Amino acid sequence: MPRSTVSTVCPYCAVGCGLQITTERGVATGIEYNPQHPVSHGALCPKGNASLEVINNKDRLTFPMKKVGDIWARISWEEALDLVGQRLSKALRDWGPESLGFLASSKCTNEENYLIEKLARTIGSRNVDNCARLCHAPSVVGLNRSLGAAGMTNPIPDLANSRCIFIIGSNLAENHPVITQWIHRAKDAGAVVIVADPRYTPTAWLADIFLQIRPGTDVALLNAMARLIIDEGWIDEKFIAARTTGYTGLVEALKGCSAEWAEGICGIPAQRIFQSAEAYALSPASSIVYSMGITQHTTGTDNVQALANLALICGQLGREGTGVLPLRGQNNVQGACDMGALAEFYPGYRPADDPATVESFSMAWDAQSLPLGRGLTAPEMIDGANDGRIKAMYIVGEDPVNSESNSRHVKEALSSLEFLVVQDIFMTSTSQLADLVLPAACWAEKEGTFTSTERRVQWTNLAVRPPGEARSDLWIVCEVANRMGLNFDYAGAEEVLSEINRTVPAYRGVTRSRLNATGIIWPCPNQDHPGTPILHIEAFKTMDGRGRILPVSFRHPAEGPSDEFPFTLTTGRIAVHHNAGSMTRRSPSLAEREPEPFAEINPMDARRLGISQGEMVNVTTARGMMEALARISERVPSGVVFMPFHFPGANILTSGARDEVAGIPEFKVAACNIARRD
Amino acid sequence: MISMDSSRCLGCFACSNVCPSVKITREDGEQRVIRFSRCEEFCDLCVEFCPGEALSISPEGEDFQISFELIPCRACHTPFATRPMLRRIIEVVPEELQKDSEGISWVEICPRCRREMERERAARPAVRSRM
Amino acid sequence: MPVYVDVLRCIGCKACEVACKREHNGKPHIAVLPAEGRAAVPLLCHHCKDATCALVCYSGALTTDGDRVSFDAAKCTGCGICALACPFGVIWSDKLAHKCDLCYPAELPSCVATCPAQALSTDYDVVSRRVRYKAAQASVIEGKRSI
Repeated sequence: MPRSTVSTVCPYCAVGCGLQITTERGVATGIEYNPQHPVSHGALCPKGNASLEVINNKDRLTFPMKKVGDIWARISWEEALDLVGQRLSKALRDWGPESLGFLASSKCTNEENYLIEKLARTIGSRNVDNCARLCHAPSVVGLNRSLGAAGMTNPIPDLANSRCIFIIGSNLAENHPVITQWIHRAKDAGAVVIVADPRYTPTAWLADIFLQIRPGTDVALLNAMARLIIDEGWIDEKFIAARTTGYTGLVEALKGCSAEWAEGICGIPAQRIFQSAEAYALSPASSIVYSMGITQHTTGTDNVQALANLALICGQLGREGTGVLPLRGQNNVQGACDMGALAEFYPGYRPADDPATVESFSMAWDAQSLPLGRGLTAPEMIDGANDGRIKAMYIVGEDPVNSESNSRHVKEALSSLEFLVVQDIFMTSTSQLADLVLPAACWAEKEGTFTSTERRVQWTNLAVRPPGEARSDLWIVCEVANRMGLNFDYAGAEEVLSEINRTVPAYRGVTRSRLNATGIIWPCPNQDHPGTPILHIEAFKTMDGRGRILPVSFRHPAEGPSDEFPFTLTTGRIAVHHNAGSMTRRSPSLAEREPEPFAEINPMDARRLGISQGEMVNVTTARGMMEALARISERVPSGVVFMPFHFPGANILTSGARDEVAGIPEFKVAACNIARRD
Repeated sequence: MISMDSSRCLGCFACSNVCPSVKITREDGEQRVIRFSRCEEFCDLCVEFCPGEALSISPEGEDFQISFELIPCRACHTPFATRPMLRRIIEVVPEELQKDSEGISWVEICPRCRREMERERAARPAVRSRM
Repeated sequence: MPVYVDVLRCIGCKACEVACKREHNGKPHIAVLPAEGRAAVPLLCHHCKDATCALVCYSGALTTDGDRVSFDAAKCTGCGICALACPFGVIWSDKLAHKCDLCYPAELPSCVATCPAQALSTDYDVVSRRVRYKAAQASVIEGKRSI
């Protein structure tokens, strides 16, 4: 068979880089760069460059397995699927639909997420969610409230048109490296880049103004910036009058929020807060880029709204080079949410507690008794498993043991289930706890659409066949659904996409025949529509079309330093690993670059504690202890410890405290202690 | 059999690299030791590839070895190269090329330290401009 | 035509290392080193005009070939003298010498094609223009009370 090249979309982060795989005799043997891709222009980060090591990995799951006693026994697909059907049906019969929990996957295609969510709701369960809960739930809630839509307002390449880029709580240079080229383009044209982060990250290296903020104090900084902008008259009065509501309430609420007050809380010199506010407010086009440093807090929703307030009072929305840009983590986390794999939304963000939603989907799906109301979120399902409300779970392509906060609690909860089936490409800490493991195809072994962080829907092609008996998630979900008495008779992703075209208005014009090399940015309401790269040009997506200025007040993080735990632990990602690490830790060219967990600690703290470079230390929080190599570095300030969460164990340490509105755990702040291992 | 004119041996890696039957081994410590085991193969790869033309085929011979003192790096003091190899560099490379852009002679500095120096040279102006 | 490096743009992500390793059977020719706790510097062969590695090479494996230093693996004995003769320490050897071959005969080296920050370029004019521009810009920003 001759060499051929197949276009796929990179499976790692949500930038959605084009990844062309060359194959020989049915094996993936090489990567070609695609300079024509609208976002990546041929670039790939280290993970994308190493992605073939995932496809060809010797650890891939290649047949269904059932746990018999303590060992895994190989079984046939027939037996495996029958078992899933029987056990889920039994739970449904014995304990009702609310006893079932479904975790869809932000790694799977839109079509697969749509079917998982449809399966859950068609059998009557409201409990379907995905790991967006752990990254951008506050963006979904906060931006929906403020702007009426949760996605990035402007696409990635539009950053080149910004003249001030305010990056807060995002280490994009490591987590979304390919975006860097667009930041550089803006800088080449004279843009000022402001970076706020507790660490001097590689992203801070791009900054003209660096704000080293104390973890969890973002609202104080943002409120002080807003107050300065108001006091100095840098607001956009016309924009406020024509397009927003709530401005006077904000003026009132910010009375106490001086730059000096914020300096005391955030540890950022007032002068720098002033500079940043001025640069952001007065530049002809300013954008805000944020990520998990904003959302993964008990104040996550507040943080998001404070950012939206800043953009609204300065009129930095609805034009080229402006906007609020939440960078999403997983390749299809945007799509999984669009498809309704969220506890509070049916597909297309139709509220689950609105009877009209249920009515319209009952018609579309020809289904009786679709559930009304918000279901349990991913962390709530874990709680539910623990207290017996959830009896059976179907987890697709997620590893909550490593990705949720407080891993020990998650492990106990999942172990107590009556039935757990996990579908994945590798054995993970979560699938180890399952009764049944189903081998899935990876991204290059199937086709369908992924929606990147900028709402760009792209078609990805099948490059190679799945290994052994592994099957696409789409096929597996359909087979399970059919065994539960449903009729999921889809020939393939294209047929599911055409159903999505009918049921999700923003995707109506995103049809298979139109998905060429560049994809389409939703909303795309009809077949002739070119897509909508920039949101909110004329009006916001709120009921009255106005942006809502919603004042928020500063609250401290749930855990502050104490005598027992005097340090602040903050977690994050590094360039060569991805999330729970099930792919990157198995990828030799990545793992050899960062093989072990480490804890970054300031040289002053290290000296005081007698910790030397590279020695093993114990990091302890109220929930547990983890060993890591000490990495003494000026990147972190004194009093702060940073750990990447790619290695099993980091989330033993993190706090279970959650944002009350969005349900996201506070991964970014935990009180900890660090000590030499004796 | 192989015999050697030890005055011509550089102490390099060529013979041990090309030997298909692993009869030539080398070891680096304080000294570099190269060991030649009795070899009866009809093969003269080591002779052909020896850069110093130190090896030849001979009718008889025993196991033998040769050792070299390794010169320590002027910067980090780690032993890194044999004297004949450095001599070759000093002889062949024009004198003006034996100094880097800052006038430092690099020949007796180990490659690792040279790389560190290159890194510093490249980073310094950038870091200064970002302060 | 070597690969030029713009340290101000480099984010130290190591995409170039991984790409280079893949293109060269597991033996990367580029290394990204951290510097001064904040910067990162990709290091690779300069393809020197007066290439000292080519001068000392016994076997003729390394030769100056127009504006690049080319390497013929078939001729290399792995003697290791080139690594000792590189003023920048960017050649290493095991059984063979390993140094940047510009992914010849590909049009663009894979490190340049893949760099997420466009920190690497084969066009000197692009890199030097950027560096000069940045230096000027930095002084403008410092000079003002605010921007």
